Amino acid sequence: MAKVFTIDVTRCSGCYNCQLACKDEHAGNDWRPYAAEQPLIGQFWMKVQENVCGTQPKLRIHYIPKLCNHCEKAICMEVCPNGAIYRRDDGLVVISPEKCKGCGRCKKACPYDAIYFNEELKISQKCTGCAHLLDNGYKLPRCVEACPTDALRFGEESEMEDFIVGADVLKPETGLRPKVYYRNIPGKFIAGTVYDPMEKEVIIGATCILNCGGKVWKATTDEYGDFWFNDLPIGVFDLVISAPGYEYKSFYKLRTLKDINLGDIPLDKAT
Amino acid sequence: MNSKFKPDDTNIISFSLMGPESGGPCLVDSKDGKMIRIRPYYYDREHIEKNCNPWKIEARGKSFSAPDRVTITPFGLGYKARVYSPNRVRYPLKRVDWDPKGERNPQNRGKSKFVRISWDEAAQIVADELVRIRDTYGPEAVLCQADMHGEGKNVSPSHGCPNRLLSLMGGYTLQMRNADSWEGWFWGAKHVWGCEPVGEMAPQTNLYPDIAKHSDLLLFWGCDPETTPLGVVSHMPSRLCYWFTEIGIKSVYVCPDLNYGAAVHADKWIPILPNTDAALQLAIAYMWITEGTYDKEYIATHAYGFDKFEDYVLGREDGVPKTPAWASEKCGVPEWTIKALARDWVEKTASIIHGNGGCYIRGPYATEPARLEVMLLAMRGLGKPGVHQAKMIEWNLWNRDYPVPYQGQFTPAVPHICDALRPVDGDVSPEINMKRFVLSEAQKKRAPELIELFEQLPAPKQFIPRTLIHKAILEGHAEWYGLQCFSSSQVPDENNYRKPTADYQFEKMVYPRPGLSKVHMIWTDAPCQVTCWNNGNLMIEAMRSPEIECIVAQHPWLENDCYFADIIFPVATKHEIPDIGNDLSSGGFVSVYFEQPCCPPVGESVSDFDVCARVAEKLGPEYLRAYTGNLTEEDRVRFFYKASGCEEHLSWEEFKKKKIFVVPCKPDAQELPAGLYGFYKDPKANPLSTPTGLIEFTSTAIEKYMPDDPERPPVPRWIEKSESHDERLSSERTKNYPLLCMSNHGRWRMHAQCDDIVWNREVETMKIRAKDGYQYEPVWLHPIEAEKRGISHGDIVKVFNERGTVLGAAYVTERLIPSTCYMDHGARLDPIIPGVLDRGGCINSITPTSMTSKRCTGMAVSGFLVEVQKVTDEEMEAWKRDYPEAFARKIDYAAGVCLDGWLIGDEQNG
Repeated sequence: MAKVFTIDVTRCSGCYNCQLACKDEHAGNDWRPYAAEQPLIGQFWMKVQENVCGTQPKLRIHYIPKLCNHCEKAICMEVCPNGAIYRRDDGLVVISPEKCKGCGRCKKACPYDAIYFNEELKISQKCTGCAHLLDNGYKLPRCVEACPTDALRFGEESEMEDFIVGADVLKPETGLRPKVYYRNIPGKFIAGTVYDPMEKEVIIGATCILNCGGKVWKATTDEYGDFWFNDLPIGVFDLVISAPGYEYKSFYKLRTLKDINLGDIPLDKAT
Repeated sequence: MNSKFKPDDTNIISFSLMGPESGGPCLVDSKDGKMIRIRPYYYDREHIEKNCNPWKIEARGKSFSAPDRVTITPFGLGYKARVYSPNRVRYPLKRVDWDPKGERNPQNRGKSKFVRISWDEAAQIVADELVRIRDTYGPEAVLCQADMHGEGKNVSPSHGCPNRLLSLMGGYTLQMRNADSWEGWFWGAKHVWGCEPVGEMAPQTNLYPDIAKHSDLLLFWGCDPETTPLGVVSHMPSRLCYWFTEIGIKSVYVCPDLNYGAAVHADKWIPILPNTDAALQLAIAYMWITEGTYDKEYIATHAYGFDKFEDYVLGREDGVPKTPAWASEKCGVPEWTIKALARDWVEKTASIIHGNGGCYIRGPYATEPARLEVMLLAMRGLGKPGVHQAKMIEWNLWNRDYPVPYQGQFTPAVPHICDALRPVDGDVSPEINMKRFVLSEAQKKRAPELIELFEQLPAPKQFIPRTLIHKAILEGHAEWYGLQCFSSSQVPDENNYRKPTADYQFEKMVYPRPGLSKVHMIWTDAPCQVTCWNNGNLMIEAMRSPEIECIVAQHPWLENDCYFADIIFPVATKHEIPDIGNDLSSGGFVSVYFEQPCCPPVGESVSDFDVCARVAEKLGPEYLRAYTGNLTEEDRVRFFYKASGCEEHLSWEEFKKKKIFVVPCKPDAQELPAGLYGFYKDPKANPLSTPTGLIEFTSTAIEKYMPDDPERPPVPRWIEKSESHDERLSSERTKNYPLLCMSNHGRWRMHAQCDDIVWNREVETMKIRAKDGYQYEPVWLHPIEAEKRGISHGDIVKVFNERGTVLGAAYVTERLIPSTCYMDHGARLDPIIPGVLDRGGCINSITPTSMTSKRCTGMAVSGFLVEVQKVTDEEMEAWKRDYPEAFARKIDYAAGVCLDGWLIGDEQNG
């Protein structure tokens, strides 16, 4: 059996309740043998990452809550010379505050930066999945319980297949088989507004064709003259915008390392 | 279960921060006398399903149901850090160089520190001062600054206890709250559509089910549903917004900033310069009139004075047609986007969504966009299905029937013990106020034990609007119009109707009233004037005036106005005292719950009620008896439950055991017609409360009483500048102050509350730790504005104008329109030079003194001119050299300003 976390990024409002609940549970509370007290500030066993994408006014924000991935092949366990890191029967990976000698190898090895070093206690610390609560009558880790929009869930892997199949994990290339699954982490976008500079009117229904190495996306401008190509891979794109009665306009070599706002794009009347 | 992990106690406590009816319940685990965790409250699902008629909205093949829990807010969740904050007032304090028998040194308020004194001494000093001041000048010489916000407590309320005691002593001068979150609605929109008591659309009955069924466009206009509701509701607005997107309703956000709601919910963000919405609205009206796309039939039957409005919009009156090109220059929205918005609004069925706050409604001349918005809604057939103005907060506050169908089969009537804002006798008709603060006949019958406690004490004889306190003190005189009562006193009658109060806005008021004293002493239970109201620096000057002989503050935390007090009483937070909680606003279910202390009071703190009881005791046993009604705190908890009407459904013994009574929902709540549907269908049979009963495009009341007011004329208009304000980018003042400063309610604070929650302070939009290690308040700047000024993200900057300077740290972001800067209001003051220079980021210290407009007694605290510059190392060093004592005050690394910073020597850690 394995417990998993699932995180639906589109449902995350960025309220930080998960991050705050984790602090409320662990900062100043000693839950040995599961976890020693977390310092009052500075550690983020659950950390909300804010991503501000695009430029004004084609600007969006998404938040990615990040925590220990409780990996099936936990590299932290492997590198610990003291046998201080163990996997519980429910799959949660825990650093024993009693056995940890503070060598810090696990912190260095974790590709997810999920482990923190407690300078005062000289031990490594991280998310325990609130194992001390789960073992004592509570149903959910604090972060999940505090989530107001149900973006975060926690449960048996076998019971959450609906979410997990087709979901992403962070840095899959590490091969550590994380047990925190994400959906709807957006790809990059290319967006803009098309308008007629003489009439000073937006152009509704303009056709926007995006091309990347032969793969083609199509969008039509909406009531505000806006087009959005969402969820794009990182790549180099060419874009052609056309509308009946107007000269077409092209953009070449748009690189989606960042989200791209092409701004307000004037189309000249066809002559 | 291992006993180490088992709490000794789990209590249900309200996370309310806006008066007792706000917020909702949460669970607090305690062990060994300490709070260990705060969690959301989950309803007993089985019980709810069986007994409480859980509601469900169905629309477009999907449904939205009553939640399984009360979604706790970041403030509620982090409250342990607030209760145990290093900023707590732990024992009574006296300003070290204030001697009631000798030198009072008012000029040192905000500079000199405090010493610990005993409760006995503190209560005696205050009792003696009250008697001396009353006997010397008359009772009105004591100004009582109480309020409505703050922790929601019932049996020992946060606000109004001093008023109660002062009434027993013969009276006081009342500080009347202005309609701070509703300025434009209150002073403007009310004259268009009535909609008592605040001028926002009323009733809000069933608006969200109706919107789900009939609207296809939601305009979030100056509205952040992910911010302002957090202190008042829960996360229900957030969940609703997600659902509206899910069922295909488009969300368009019109606001200067990509606010937290727009960040995750907007289908379209239209950035607009702060406080220029009136220009955009006029251009939309222009489009509709010139293209003939407004609902002419509706206007013919439902509106009054449209012709004059049309004349103004088309430029027949002033020669300036309010075209999209004209508006674009003023508001910064491209002409083509203005036209697109106007046409999309015609194509779709749209409602406008609000959540208080923002620039939109509390800027200079806020009456104008408020009035224009109502007129635009009218031009689209206001009241017809899907066409409303709906609110994301205050669902219970003015509504007999709620916009989300969670209301109970009855409304629990937990009594309100103190009216902090009681009108002066004779100022208003007794019919329109007070009902919330007296014991109703039904309550008397249920709990006769409370009759003595609720005996009506004499009303105050004099008041000063909160917006004018500083001027009144410094000039010894003030004049204004209206505000004889704060609207909250009104309760709807059985027909869901409130008495009109709009006429009260036109009466000229003065301070001091003939024969009554000026103010010489202040007692505050709401010490946040400097960080929440207009021109905090002027308030600092007033508090340091030698006219004011004594300032008493009672508060759980040493913050803001407390630094200027002479005596400070330590107050216990709601997590430390017993109470009866009532959740009317979290949006899931209505409930009443039994709150038990989660931990002993911190230090020597006592409840607000008991602070005043201790002073009453010093005045004499007759005062104590009258003040307490001869009831203990325990009695009040018991009898408040008895009075609430819940005991008929759940016995006291059972209630104590279960700790909560969830009121069954009205099963037929969704059958009531939505909003102003009655008016839409038949305006004659269901008139508005305006003088004509119609939507007044030309206000008959303003025409009658103040036809020549250029700042609020009978027909609303664009006011570039006028006598009260010169706060536009076109102003001469932009030579020195070229940025429009916007200030909204904080995302991580509830006004002045919760600035010290250490975990919130780690979020970068809450505080930025700059290179000197100090956590500064973020100052948002667009990259273009930052670059012009050589400012990088995280730099220490100063925000300044003629009224003073506030420090912050640059938060360089695409989220804010250029030509502006943005700071949340409510950061705690940390004065370097009191009244001149603040390090804490208290932006309200430099907000305009002038009110909404000359005859509108509101405040204008957003959308004003400033400049932002980088603070050089030399400049900071010079301040440190010149004001060493300010920089020597201890700052807590995690929590910021703290008690130890203001205590003298040996008293620290005492």
